[in-house]
Amino acid sequence: MNLFQAVTSALDNSLATDPTAVIFGEDVAFGGVFRCTVGLRDKYGKDRVFNTPLCEQGIVGFGIGIAVAGATAIAEIQFADYIFPAFDQIVNEAAKYRYRSGDLFNCGRLTIRAPWGCVGHGALYHSQCPEAFFAHCPGIKVVIPRSPFQAKGLLLSCIQDKNPCIFFEPKILYRAAVEQVPVEPYNIPLSQAEVLQEGSDVTLVAWGTQVHVIREVASMAREKLGVSCEVIDLRTIIPWDVDTVCKSVVKTGRLLISHEAPLTGGFASEISSTVQEECFLNLEAPISRVCGYDTPFPHIFEPFYIPDKWKCYDALRKMINY
Amino acid sequence: MKKMLASVVSRVLGATQKPPLRVLLTSCNYSKDATIDIKSCDLYRLEGGPASSTLLTRDDGLKYYRAMQIVRRMELKADQLYKQKFIRGFCHLCDGQEACCVGIEAAIKPTDNVITSYRAHGICYTRGLSVKSILAELTGRRGGCAKGKGGSMHMYAKHFFGGNGIVGAQGQIAEAYNMAALWKLPCVFICENNRYAMGTAVERAAASTDYYKRGNFIPGLKVNGMDVLCVREATRFAADHCRAGKGPIVMELQTYRYHGHSMSDPGVSYRTREEIQTMRSKSDPIMLLQEKMISHKLSSVEELKEIDVEVRKEIEEAAQFATTDPEPSLDELGHHLYHSNPPFDVRGANQWIKYKSIS
Repeated sequence: MNLFQAVTSALDNSLATDPTAVIFGEDVAFGGVFRCTVGLRDKYGKDRVFNTPLCEQGIVGFGIGIAVAGATAIAEIQFADYIFPAFDQIVNEAAKYRYRSGDLFNCGRLTIRAPWGCVGHGALYHSQCPEAFFAHCPGIKVVIPRSPFQAKGLLLSCIQDKNPCIFFEPKILYRAAVEQVPVEPYNIPLSQAEVLQEGSDVTLVAWGTQVHVIREVASMAREKLGVSCEVIDLRTIIPWDVDTVCKSVVKTGRLLISHEAPLTGGFASEISSTVQEECFLNLEAPISRVCGYDTPFPHIFEPFYIPDKWKCYDALRKMINY
Repeated sequence: MKKMLASVVSRVLGATQKPPLRVLLTSCNYSKDATIDIKSCDLYRLEGGPASSTLLTRDDGLKYYRAMQIVRRMELKADQLYKQKFIRGFCHLCDGQEACCVGIEAAIKPTDNVITSYRAHGICYTRGLSVKSILAELTGRRGGCAKGKGGSMHMYAKHFFGGNGIVGAQGQIAEAYNMAALWKLPCVFICENNRYAMGTAVERAAASTDYYKRGNFIPGLKVNGMDVLCVREATRFAADHCRAGKGPIVMELQTYRYHGHSMSDPGVSYRTREEIQTMRSKSDPIMLLQEKMISHKLSSVEELKEIDVEVRKEIEEAAQFATTDPEPSLDELGHHLYHSNPPFDVRGANQWIKYKSIS
């Protein structure tokens, strides 16, 4: 299956096993602009898979309402770039619902899905990675998969998790990534990072599409520099797996974090800050962050903007030679 | 005959009557119920409206009077506690608007769901929260209805979803109207129009002040929000409309608040004291109900005064509790962030402070 088919499979499993599950968003009824919901309306009916008007704030607000009322709400925001009108609903309502009512009410049954990340031609408003904005908000979980197999397991975990979750799907991988994915439901735990490759000299951390970039960087490092890299996919942005990353840095002494989102205030800064607190004496070199520039996501300059393997390799080399 | 007996006895015994005799007199003095005419509502996109007269039973009348008096006294007590610094932060009082919350509750079922904005203490009470738990929540104590963590704007109960802030709501309500009408949701949108958006008079803030028409394609009615019976009948009509599957409906209650927008607003910089005084003397909801009940012989001045005394006592006790109940312990700061199984650490103001988060 490719990524969007894996997502469809996860949604299919949810609708089949949970009679309260509903999917809604713009254009989901015919299958969605990325075909993630193809066939679900025919299979489960128009009461469970339905379109909403063009109102992100309304979509999330509505999602919060039905989640509180007891339905498993799976809301789709058509592009992560459009999630900002719903920012108030997510941060001020969804995230704080349980806390402000002293656990009397909660909207944990809400999951918001949104296509995320650069895609080669997306320009300003079809390429953004807003995970850092939400990382600053206690009360929600933010999850980003790197592959079809990961996507299905993580999405099912998000849907079943009793907290409001945001699930960002790397849109460039919707068709490009193909893997063997089981048809039956399975879960991948949240807040657990995965060590894809063990190493002893440098720790590389990324999430979503960028994981594939750093994997390539790891093999380049092994061939050209004889350097052994430990590659970690963070998977859950908040609450993030501090232990796995710190354990790795204690072992290697060097950390490189990479993400497409702009450098300043990006999630790499949070990881960097925590790691230097916990592992200060183990560090051999300053923590390196290879990220997008502090500009809006450009149209024509995209190839220059994204933190490609060469930029990461260069930063890695500087760290080794520190 | 009964009236003659009553007047003879009262002349013989003088002003103070012995309790047992007075009980006997009260039970034969009052009517069981009365049919009262009420002001009709302005209608928008509706063929018919609420009834123009309603039956008020003695029991209901006393119940509404008591409830409104409790809300009034509770709000005034909150005002006092705020000035004494027992209550901090935000506090939006609804005295003057008692007829709205009591009237609405009188016409709906306890299983109907209610959600409202921040001027919510009255509706918290009518939805079933005790005065104690409301005042304790305001003072941020353990006995509060949200365990002291929500405060004035975030009180919840069964079938009552708070108490909410309303930043940026004009767009949100437009989207809500659209979704409700599109999907024919059984939803009554109620606007308690107290004439001022914080300090801005409605004429200066709204292109159209006919709020009951602002649902555009949703029918609406404009109701005298100072008369609890008008509110009750209108709510009954609106609820029936929804229950019959006709879709959403908008209800504008024309009401007034005596206090400023919040405790930091004196309330007189944008309106005159005369205006407030006039509303108090001519349209006070408690006074209006009292007059109706007495003129229709459903109660007497003395009986209502007794209720006042009881209510005062209840509020005093609640205030006592609210000021003496202990605050929630600091350990609870991190609780209920997530629904989590293993408790995890929440970072505090510096790296050496951590709180446990437990759900």
